[in-house]
Amino acid sequence: MRKVFLIATALFWLAIAALGVRALTHPPASAPASAERLIGLAEMARHHSPGDCWLAIDGAVYDLSVYLPQHPAEPAVLAAWCGKEASAAYRTKNKGRPHSAYADRQLPTYRIGRLAAR
Amino acid sequence: MKRTAAPLLAAAGVATALGLAGPAAGVGWVALGRLSAWAGSALLLASLLFMLREPVLTRQLGGWEAMLRAHHHSGVWAYVLLLIHPLALAAGHDDALGAWQRLVAPPGRLGWAALLLLMLGLGTTFSRQVSDRRWRPLHGLLGLGVLLGLVHAALLTVHIGLAWVTLALALAALAWRLAVVNRGLTAQPYRVTAVAHPADGVVELALQPETTALKVAAGQFVLARFQAQAPYGGCGEFHPFTVSGGTAEGGLRVSVKALGRCSGRIQAVPVGAQALLQGPFGEFLPGAAAGPRLWVAGGIGITPFMAALRAQPCRVATTLIYLARTPADAAFLDELQALEREEPSFQLLFQAGDSAELALDALLPQVDRLAERQVHICGPAPLVRALRPRLAKAGVAPGAVQVESFQLR
Repeated sequence: MRKVFLIATALFWLAIAALGVRALTHPPASAPASAERLIGLAEMARHHSPGDCWLAIDGAVYDLSVYLPQHPAEPAVLAAWCGKEASAAYRTKNKGRPHSAYADRQLPTYRIGRLAAR
Repeated sequence: MKRTAAPLLAAAGVATALGLAGPAAGVGWVALGRLSAWAGSALLLASLLFMLREPVLTRQLGGWEAMLRAHHHSGVWAYVLLLIHPLALAAGHDDALGAWQRLVAPPGRLGWAALLLLMLGLGTTFSRQVSDRRWRPLHGLLGLGVLLGLVHAALLTVHIGLAWVTLALALAALAWRLAVVNRGLTAQPYRVTAVAHPADGVVELALQPETTALKVAAGQFVLARFQAQAPYGGCGEFHPFTVSGGTAEGGLRVSVKALGRCSGRIQAVPVGAQALLQGPFGEFLPGAAAGPRLWVAGGIGITPFMAALRAQPCRVATTLIYLARTPADAAFLDELQALEREEPSFQLLFQAGDSAELALDALLPQVDRLAERQVHICGPAPLVRALRPRLAKAGVAPGAVQVESFQLR
């Protein structure tokens, strides 16, 4: 068991170091500028599946299809809000706690437009 | 069946966790990250169950050695699975920066704290430089790491019920161990009725139960605690001591060699002192032997064999190889020599000296039908290391050799 512990721990830190070096040496490609467009509730509602997931938070519409598998909670948590207005859920995470500042910083990456007024 | 009871229980825990969390886990690397966390949590819970030191549960799950082995294995494999958890979650990102940000994101910080505590706790367990006295509190870091890790899971998962139930069970196991077992609430009170010094630095205490007597068989050990505030300054912790015999009044005798601070203090325990006993544990010597036996004792490792010889006459040919540094260090030597004169089926081969290799080379050829014997060894690691290849060379099957290590970590 001692050998298992030592080998696993060494491999773990090697992998962490490799991920750190890769992040430093591979800066993210700049996101292509997309024209801000108005998206209505009806159009957004058509994108209601985990593989095609749009949702609105505080007036902005986000396409989270790619991000959904990476969400810290299980996909079902986020998938339930696909195609819907999800500001309240984003602010409370269904447990009364807001998302982190890190999540706030990530969100604009997936913005595809503004939610049109009714 | 009993040998596999503990691993089967751990496997059932993992299967249950994966069965409940699997359907919602998704696919790919992120799913692997989630499932490794659940499997690791189940193994951590199993590891806590295996450290409860409850005699009935210990018997049901295969005995002390099996429980200790299961505690170690489930704890280490849980740790490996929990190391996979953050790496797999990071691997779920296509871009390098996203993967790194996932690792250092605030939602994972409690998980990181838990993982580092597990790393530190296991590191001290496996470190050969950390003494038992320092290891005990450092090992407690593992308990804290388990709790933090399960809180981390409860805050992030959709399986909130499963996470809180796991956390509640872990808390219950830790509370039972710390507040009930370690404080001696399940222990039986005994009183010292006689004290003898069968060798230099060895004390044999006769202990009489004040309420219920423990049912102890030869080869088993008990965990004993002598009060720290008593005039003789007992160490106030439970330590394992092999039972070296019973008493006419239904009590038991334990022999303690002065090896450290605690066992050194116990040398001065007087008649009338109180002790708390837990157990019994261990299944080193089987009750009925089918064929000829070879027992090999090094130093204070003589105690389980003394208990067996005192309990009943040898019904099968039994040779005891007894090694000690000097005759003065050899506890019970006079009693063993008297037994050899009385019992025709018992042979004592004693040798004093510093080299186990030399002694074994001189004594093993004197053992008749060596390859047919069931071998039991109780002694320090160098003796076991010296003996194993010599037994193999003499034709003793590895399965016929049983070693009592009395390890706590």
